[in-house]
Amino acid sequence: MTAATFTDTRGRTPVVRSRGHGANVLRRLLRNPVAMIAATIILLLVLMAIFAPWLMPADPYATSMLKRLKPIGTEGLPLGSDELGRDLLSRLMLGGRLSLFMGIAPVVMAFIIGGGIGILAGYAGGWLNTAIMRCIDVLYAFPSVLLAIALSGALGAGITNALVSLTVVFIPQIARIAESVTTQVRRSDYVDAARASGASSLLIIRKHVLGNVIGPIFVYATSLISVSMILASGLSFLGLGVKPPQPEWGLMLNTLRTAIYTQPWVAALPGLMIFITSVSFNMLADGLRSAMEVKQ
Amino acid sequence: MSMKLPKQTPATALSRFALALSLAIGCTTAAEAAEKVLRIGMTAGDIPRTLGQPDQGYEGNRFTGITLYDSLTQWDLSSGDKASVLIPGLAESWSVDPADQTKWIFKLRPDVTFHDGSPFNADAVVWNVDKVLNKDAPQYDPSQIGVTASRMPTLRSARKVDELTVELTTSEPDSFLPYNLTNLFMASPSHWQAKADALPASVADPAARSQQAWAAFAADSSGTGPFKQARFVPRERLEIVANTDYWDAKRRPQIDRVVLLPLPEASARTAALMSGQVDWIEAPAPDSIDAIKARGYKLYSNLQPHLWPWQFSLLPESPFHDKQVRQAANLCVNREELKALLSGQMEPATGVVEPGDPWRGNPSFQVRYDVAAGQKLMQAAGYSASKPAKVKVQTSASGSGQMQPLPMNEYIQQNLRDCYFDVEFDVLEWNTLYSSWRLGAKDPAAHGADATNVSAAVMDPFFAMVRFVSSKALPPVSNNWGYYIDDKTDALVEKARTTFDEQARNEALGELHANIVDEAPFLFVAHDVGPRALSAKIGNVVQPRSWFIDIATMTLD
Amino acid sequence: MIGYLLRRLGYALPIMLGVSFLCFMLVYLAPGDPLVSILPADASAELQKQMMQLYGFDRPLIEQFVRWLWRALQGDLGHSIATSRPVVDEVFKAVGNTLMIAVLATLIGFTLGALFGFVAGYFRNSWGDRLASFVSVIGVSLPNYWLGMVLVIVFSAQLMWLPATGAGPGGSGSWTWDWEHVQYLILPALTMSFIPMGIVARTVRALVADILSQEFVVGLRARGLGEWGVFKHVVKNCAPTALAVMGLQLGYLLGGSILIETVFSWPGTGFLLNQAIFQRDLPLLQGTILVLALFFVALNLLVDVLQTIFDPRIERG
Repeated sequence: MTAATFTDTRGRTPVVRSRGHGANVLRRLLRNPVAMIAATIILLLVLMAIFAPWLMPADPYATSMLKRLKPIGTEGLPLGSDELGRDLLSRLMLGGRLSLFMGIAPVVMAFIIGGGIGILAGYAGGWLNTAIMRCIDVLYAFPSVLLAIALSGALGAGITNALVSLTVVFIPQIARIAESVTTQVRRSDYVDAARASGASSLLIIRKHVLGNVIGPIFVYATSLISVSMILASGLSFLGLGVKPPQPEWGLMLNTLRTAIYTQPWVAALPGLMIFITSVSFNMLADGLRSAMEVKQ
Repeated sequence: MSMKLPKQTPATALSRFALALSLAIGCTTAAEAAEKVLRIGMTAGDIPRTLGQPDQGYEGNRFTGITLYDSLTQWDLSSGDKASVLIPGLAESWSVDPADQTKWIFKLRPDVTFHDGSPFNADAVVWNVDKVLNKDAPQYDPSQIGVTASRMPTLRSARKVDELTVELTTSEPDSFLPYNLTNLFMASPSHWQAKADALPASVADPAARSQQAWAAFAADSSGTGPFKQARFVPRERLEIVANTDYWDAKRRPQIDRVVLLPLPEASARTAALMSGQVDWIEAPAPDSIDAIKARGYKLYSNLQPHLWPWQFSLLPESPFHDKQVRQAANLCVNREELKALLSGQMEPATGVVEPGDPWRGNPSFQVRYDVAAGQKLMQAAGYSASKPAKVKVQTSASGSGQMQPLPMNEYIQQNLRDCYFDVEFDVLEWNTLYSSWRLGAKDPAAHGADATNVSAAVMDPFFAMVRFVSSKALPPVSNNWGYYIDDKTDALVEKARTTFDEQARNEALGELHANIVDEAPFLFVAHDVGPRALSAKIGNVVQPRSWFIDIATMTLD
Repeated sequence: MIGYLLRRLGYALPIMLGVSFLCFMLVYLAPGDPLVSILPADASAELQKQMMQLYGFDRPLIEQFVRWLWRALQGDLGHSIATSRPVVDEVFKAVGNTLMIAVLATLIGFTLGALFGFVAGYFRNSWGDRLASFVSVIGVSLPNYWLGMVLVIVFSAQLMWLPATGAGPGGSGSWTWDWEHVQYLILPALTMSFIPMGIVARTVRALVADILSQEFVVGLRARGLGEWGVFKHVVKNCAPTALAVMGLQLGYLLGGSILIETVFSWPGTGFLLNQAIFQRDLPLLQGTILVLALFFVALNLLVDVLQTIFDPRIERG
């Protein structure tokens, strides 16, 4: 069931790799122009987020009801102001921190936890595999948006609760893929030979399983980053997740929604940031996937 | 596992009935074309309950309370220039027994019938009181207690004297009772009984019977109001039609049908108005008001019985323990400029009620913007520019009635700096703030704050004044969050409570109010103005100084 | 294969039980009062206790779960606390409404997605590929409910071509398939179709590119099979997987419609959920989540079973 789903969504089965594969992947990636542009954009965004407090031209929290909803290019407000008169450029810069965080952190945590669970289940096989995967299936039985909102709604608003909900939503997805790939690898000739020669499980996992498994999981996880950012935005739309007055692109998109009538371009700017970030991560994930494909 | 499937499963049933239905719809739409239909977009997330006691706050009372039902007493909604006062509703007159002030006699209006044709009389009043106060009554419904019993805390029972006379008994002398009764709407007992009788005998438990009977009643209700319930699609729309036999000939509706739609999402509500899907929306988003006006819609607003204050803590460790400090703060806020900052969507507050209101009284302390006077008071209290008063204020980022809390508070913070205040904010989630309001300034939930910014509805004497300043209203009983305890105030409350002549009571309440303004347990900041956007086709619109508005007197081109 | 199917069905049952338990417990994760929708903050402690007893919230959790599950199996999901109406009626009516836009959205998303994906996969790494990929990626790179709001502002508020909210001029109760009513479907379904479109496009692109590059396709061409023949071959091989993805997307849309339905006030399961969450209406919340999750499990099961029947080549774990 798990393997079927995995091949369904991707259309191809993973192949067991040899060592030295990593360097080849990187080389192929570097030669892919789209992926390189995407990676550069991401790097710039991350730098902007990290150095935002020093780069910002104005105080992102200072409100001024007289300067509400000023258009792009206003004196002193290069990208306009939001519904409370705060400088949009500064808020977009500082907002990058929280937005990237809400995109990356849950995925990283799910990667570690879900990947760990999946690899364990895949390698162990037998009843342990069944027990673990059935528990995962119960979580997987919920559509992601539903689970995220239900969990967030239950736990309450706030960044920590949102992080927990999003991580829980992604764990089953990553665990399934990890389990599926690990199961395939476990059955491969390499691993059989290693077992026959008496190598310990841990050594086999480290040498053969991890190398082959991390790749596909990593690619999938990268494509989840944009999903996570957008889900976080959905949570803040419902009043869960990030709360005002913190700058975060998804929240800003929501609070500016009624201003689309009067200042459509200003209201769309946070959306543009989300768009650029999502597309970049997705293009990067695509590039990684292409780089890892080996025609045999 | 067995699951009940709905009668209209999308695929097959719809195609089967399509032809028949489109014929039927064709006929009804033709009939409706001649009708005058007013479509309203509410901020509520669901249709307020239609069984007589609406939920969804005062918006519920506004749209499924005073439209479908009447109460013994009601608010006068006919004028926008003066305060909305209490006038007779289903009771023509009332008086308290001078010998035993816990007993009230209400004389009921004759010749009033419910929508189902049954007569309104004393039995009906007793029945409606019992629905929330008498556990043994078959119609007892605990789900209606929250919006009734808690708003009439002293009412204990009702007794029929004759067909058109009822005696109400309170737990202690309470002259505020007539105000409380505006919350108790009269539902038709006969109609309810018919619903209850139609239930299968298998439902034996009285509580379950009552619940199901009320659910059936809500789907097909019967009150005495100017409108009758016509069509109810749960969670989507409520259609009410004019009651041409309404007992008040001046309030028989000119509009044939009113459609109520829940549109909680601000941008969807605005879009619904702009696309012509509705004719009236409540609380348009401030950012889109200019676009709405540019399209030709009219914006109505008026002073509301609403107060946006800082409620001070008078505990010894709070700087606001000192009256001079409290008054100084009130002198240091530029309310007119704050109004400009909010694009005019507020009225400056110089008390709980403003001049012109019957309860205003004659305060000697004038709340105004006078920085010099404020500074003098602060200096007398021992503060200065180098030695400011450090205060912590709890507030929320949003919430019903909170208007624009963050920018407003920041503006006040800047203002108060001129009067040697160093203000720090503790921003909580609205529900948390609201529930901790009840717990008081001494509770850990207050985080040691010296003031809390919770807005309040101030329509009746208890809600407007008593619950904030009476020593009997200390936490957790009611909202005297700051532990304001003053014998003189308590005496004034008692006096107002036990003065049964309306004129004299208003004067007593005036004295209480004047005392409150002088003692300044609040930083009086603003009153909300309840904005709503209406199509120019709607005529004769009067927005009173009230939470409610009368649709029955409006016209539609 | 029969053995696989039976095993698969057997697995589904404990999953459904686990799902039910999780649904039930989910709402109890929440701190706070299950009766907050009908008890205002200023209710006395005695009144609160009275109401808790009346609604059965004072019994131990396991007992409440077992009772709830027992009744659910008999088709009784309790009554909504806020409205006293039976949960089953509300949920199934809402499911019907959501299915209307979800099915339409899946069809739109599948058609457009397959189109873009085909173009992209056929003309791999060319500008056609890049353009088609870009268009299909827009939908999954922006919050779809926000795109929906923009569409509403453009097509309803400004152009006044389509209605902004609701499920028909008379509400969902009086639905007919004429333009008067169908126009209400268009914007919500279109908004909902963006994500399926993006996902189907990516899947189809990968499938098409993969199939085209396989050796025996080269062989087919070498043997003189025209483009049309190759095209038919590609479609035949893509179809099962693409359809499976479409089926799964339908499931996601059913469960994940809450944001779009909030924007459009569409009276479906998402709208119901939204109200239930914020009114803390526990029976309604539990009932809605349960029905949605079980639909999803059933749909997954169906898709897996159909796949096995139609394409037994797919590896089974």
